[in-house]
Amino acid sequence: MSEISPEVPDNRQDAPSHVDPNSTRITKPGVKRLVLTLSVLFSLVLGFPFLWKSVEIYRSSLPFGEISEMESNPSLSFPCRFQAVFINFNSNPSPNHLQLSILDKITELTSNSSQCGACANDLALSVTVDSISSCTQTHPTDNSNYYRCGAISAVDFDFSNDDDDGVDELLESVLGVKNVYSVVVVNGGGEGIRAVVGKYRHAWIVGSVEEEEEESVLVSRVAEIFVKMFVNGGTENGLIHGEFMPVGADRRIVLSFNLLNAEPNDWVYDWDFQRVDETLLAPIIKVLGPIANISVESQVLYHTPKSSFSYWDEKWKSYIFSTKDLPFFVNSNEWHLDTSIAAGGRSKILQFVVYVPSAKECPLSLLLPTGEISKTNGFISPMWGGVVVWNPPGCLNSETNHPSRHTMSREDLQAVFEVFMGQFRQLFGLKSNNLYIGASGTYHLLPSGKGFTEWELDVLSRQFACFNLHSCATTLGSLSRLVQSLPRMIIMDEIGKLVQFSLEAAKLAQSNASLGDNESSAGQARSLAEDAFFHPSIMSISYYSFEHCFAIYSPFFLPVSMHVLLAALREWKRYKQEKAKYTAWKAKVKVES
Amino acid sequence: MAILLSRRSNLLAVVVLLLCQLFLYATVSSSGSVLKQGGGEEFSEELLLKPFPDRKVLAHFHFQSRAPHSSSHGRHHHLFPKAIAQLVKKFRVKEMELSFTQGRWRYEQWGGFDPLSSNNAKPPGVELWAVFDVPQSLVDVYWRNLTHTLSGLFCASINFLESSTTYSAPELTFKPSFGNLRYGTLPREAVCTENLTPWLKLLPCRDKAGLSALMDRPSIYRGFYHSQRLRLTSSESGSDEVDSGIGLDQTLTVVLQPSSWRTGKTYSVETNIQPSWSISSIFGRNIPGKCVIAKSSNVYLQLDNGLVGELKNLERENAKYVANTFESEGFQSNHAFKISVTPDKVFEEVDNLHGKSTSVIYGFSVEKYSDSQPFDLGLTWKIPVVWSCQQAPLHASRFLMGSGNERGAIAISLEPTESSEGLPTSHIIDGRCELRVDIFQVVPWYIKVYFHTLQVFVDKQPRAMADVVDKIRVSPSKDKVSPGVMEMILKLPCGSKSAAFSLEFDKGFLHIDEYPPDANQGFDIPSALISFPSFNARMNFSEDEFLNNSPILSKFQHALQRHHHYMHSICIVFWIIAQCASEAC
Repeated sequence: MSEISPEVPDNRQDAPSHVDPNSTRITKPGVKRLVLTLSVLFSLVLGFPFLWKSVEIYRSSLPFGEISEMESNPSLSFPCRFQAVFINFNSNPSPNHLQLSILDKITELTSNSSQCGACANDLALSVTVDSISSCTQTHPTDNSNYYRCGAISAVDFDFSNDDDDGVDELLESVLGVKNVYSVVVVNGGGEGIRAVVGKYRHAWIVGSVEEEEEESVLVSRVAEIFVKMFVNGGTENGLIHGEFMPVGADRRIVLSFNLLNAEPNDWVYDWDFQRVDETLLAPIIKVLGPIANISVESQVLYHTPKSSFSYWDEKWKSYIFSTKDLPFFVNSNEWHLDTSIAAGGRSKILQFVVYVPSAKECPLSLLLPTGEISKTNGFISPMWGGVVVWNPPGCLNSETNHPSRHTMSREDLQAVFEVFMGQFRQLFGLKSNNLYIGASGTYHLLPSGKGFTEWELDVLSRQFACFNLHSCATTLGSLSRLVQSLPRMIIMDEIGKLVQFSLEAAKLAQSNASLGDNESSAGQARSLAEDAFFHPSIMSISYYSFEHCFAIYSPFFLPVSMHVLLAALREWKRYKQEKAKYTAWKAKVKVES
Repeated sequence: MAILLSRRSNLLAVVVLLLCQLFLYATVSSSGSVLKQGGGEEFSEELLLKPFPDRKVLAHFHFQSRAPHSSSHGRHHHLFPKAIAQLVKKFRVKEMELSFTQGRWRYEQWGGFDPLSSNNAKPPGVELWAVFDVPQSLVDVYWRNLTHTLSGLFCASINFLESSTTYSAPELTFKPSFGNLRYGTLPREAVCTENLTPWLKLLPCRDKAGLSALMDRPSIYRGFYHSQRLRLTSSESGSDEVDSGIGLDQTLTVVLQPSSWRTGKTYSVETNIQPSWSISSIFGRNIPGKCVIAKSSNVYLQLDNGLVGELKNLERENAKYVANTFESEGFQSNHAFKISVTPDKVFEEVDNLHGKSTSVIYGFSVEKYSDSQPFDLGLTWKIPVVWSCQQAPLHASRFLMGSGNERGAIAISLEPTESSEGLPTSHIIDGRCELRVDIFQVVPWYIKVYFHTLQVFVDKQPRAMADVVDKIRVSPSKDKVSPGVMEMILKLPCGSKSAAFSLEFDKGFLHIDEYPPDANQGFDIPSALISFPSFNARMNFSEDEFLNNSPILSKFQHALQRHHHYMHSICIVFWIIAQCASEAC
């Protein structure tokens, strides 16, 4: 308590006995103590901005504007090259006129769909009218890839018979050009108009055309083949299902085939999957190579009942489960299909399940809403896979109490895998039957032995690029919303870089697409966006809140700052009090004098 | 099918044995042809039951899956779990063992020398070791990936073994290796049903049928010891025709208390009568027939040599009163106990190292049982029997010394067990009788062990290190990088009454986020491992085709593994030194 107050020596020096030290003061109060405490307080206050700056969290700046721009319009536009060849037209319609009317139809058909993958901006159409006497052709800018006059007439083929495969191969030999989709219209043959879409990148229409009206029918059919088939892939409701593309960001798909024995105490079935893999699956995997890297694995599981109920129906002589039961058919508790370890981080796994029912529910059939029994006896679940119920032969009359081991016969396996193939195509959004009913007629689709036709593969590859870009845009969009909603979240520089690279790759993909290249930039953009979103630093401390910060610093600064503040206040109060006393005394002296 | 092996009618027994061999061979080969459909993959299940001297019962489940090496290796599976085959292929695992254990194996009461305990007694928590078939520079990467995969597969925090502070690479004592072995433990990991369910998923029948149907969760987890283990071996083709491919052994070892003792009327009078039990009374379930896919499905009841010796003594005493001897009936119904099911086979150990008494195993095949007629094995005791299990040559214990929160010492003490007076004289090298003991100890980095303070006491006298320690390998810990590892090969002189080692340590400072949750419980130092390489824990049975087809018995017979003995983890309490948590601070 060695307090040295300025008034003490003053009081000692000349303390007049009549002066009351509690109410009067005869010397000027000193400011030393006040200055000291205030300077401490002042330096504390001055230091606060430094502290505030030093505890500031690091936020790398993200290009929010560009992200929202990308999210609002994640579209790619690919160039479309079409040609229509009219053969044996006696009336010699002008190709320019045909070209205009086809283009009109095409724009009419595409106008209501502005999704990703459409070719609204970059469309080129060449029309050739090739008859015995003359050949007229309209050319877009580049003419090297298009049809040469007289090429089809030269091979002299009869289009009117039913050898579709022969026609297809022939047209491929004549027209076989990449990137150009062709429709050959042949006048002649029998009555009616027959349209066939081939395995390659062309289609043909055979019919006898005499009048003007029929010509407009042909024109609308040609346009429909271009738009609905070659661009949209024959899917019913417009374009790409953005969210239903079962390909991983690393372009990998794992097909996991499972044979489920619901009750092995009744019978146990095994399969020779090795052979199926080599004979049936290998060609398909090879064909899909440009789009996805597919690997196959299989397993046999036991004691895997389904989790929905079925009932006996006397009419069909089988146990029935209806489409209403499908959501409950897959028993995720007992069917341990497993995600594959072999599949790396972002691969997509498609499960294909052969369900062998137990003796209590055999034969088991799927009843369609139309009141018929499903022919395939299976169903798909988008992005998950497909299920086929396979009833073991003679399961109604078998009275064996003893469990027996069997192997699925080759024919049965073949049948099951044909269904799986259809399901696989459906999972990609393609049609699984070979008939397309359009607005202006029906089209026969020639099935390819390899599962996918070339024009379908083109559609898939465009679709995949669109899907990647779309998913990149949504991922970045949610990242930016997350970051904006948490203002005190730490964002590392790497995340900022990843976002930036992802945006750049997306832009590159958009510019490449218009040049006809639908390669991996979009995929790269998607995986970079996912890298940013799943960056470990986001996971670890997602929200360094103000409360947290306060809780850390208050034990250090609260005791100190309290004392300093209180001391300053007290000194200020004391100074004011002393000053008042002094002024009062001064006034008194003045009055007295 | 039952063979009664008896000493009186040896000749007869041999004939019956031969016949039986033929019969068994025929059945095995015929079932083998059926199994060819499954791509050569095999599955078999077995259960061993064994009464313990302290009124408890051991149940040891063993499931074995084998997949041959093929071109489609790791892609198409019929019986073998896909996940495991892919794991082996992806991480190039040559050998791997993962165990989840709750409770401590009581070496004194439950034995420490038979093949069962030396293979299946595991340290509490999670223990994982793996040998990789990759160049040494890549081993750590593969280990890290493996821990993450296993963590996902078994719903456990095995991924904590990823950090280099938690695993080590033993070279001398654990297993012969060439730098591609990694070993890690999580002593604090709690084990429960969420780990068992994924483990069961690897079995073709899961717990829907077969022996695994017994695994009633409340009964299993009520036990005193619970160890769930998964062991993988894989070999490339060409090296060995028989063993090439992947082998997966899944075992579950539980020690349970039969509940009948509570209702026993002889509760207070004869406390040492063993509780009578049956499968249904222990597990609350029966065996509803075999798993259809299994190649074989057997249950064994083992009476260990101490018990058999005791029974024979009692028998000799009673021989004057009772006419029928248990030998002629092959033990199954005698004056001491009764087995409710007639065994299909009886195995008697042929020759033990100690040569005195031999253990007996009854084999039961579950094939002929079904849902309507479940298998329920019961053991009823008639008279009180007291015996003890075979002990390990040395009793090892480890404890902490010192007080305060700054420094302390770890001590390991070895004492000969009661069974052997002084150290067993097994190895005589250069006229000196010595016992080889291997010690493997991993210490976390925050226990800063000063290896130079290692002190050795033999018969309570300090000894120079060179006298006792044959080889030592020490890798000191690095702060926040690697744990300290000590491996010692000791040569203890025979006849010593005790041996002890002590090491001093300081407790390190920890950052606040290095503390585990619930840090006030303290930190567990992983279990140390003591092994006696000169002792082989194995049992010899008369050669029998049946044995080779039984995973448990062939393990007993052919396991030339070293004798392992875990010292249980000890707990150290640290003060929490709070430090700033976030880099932003």
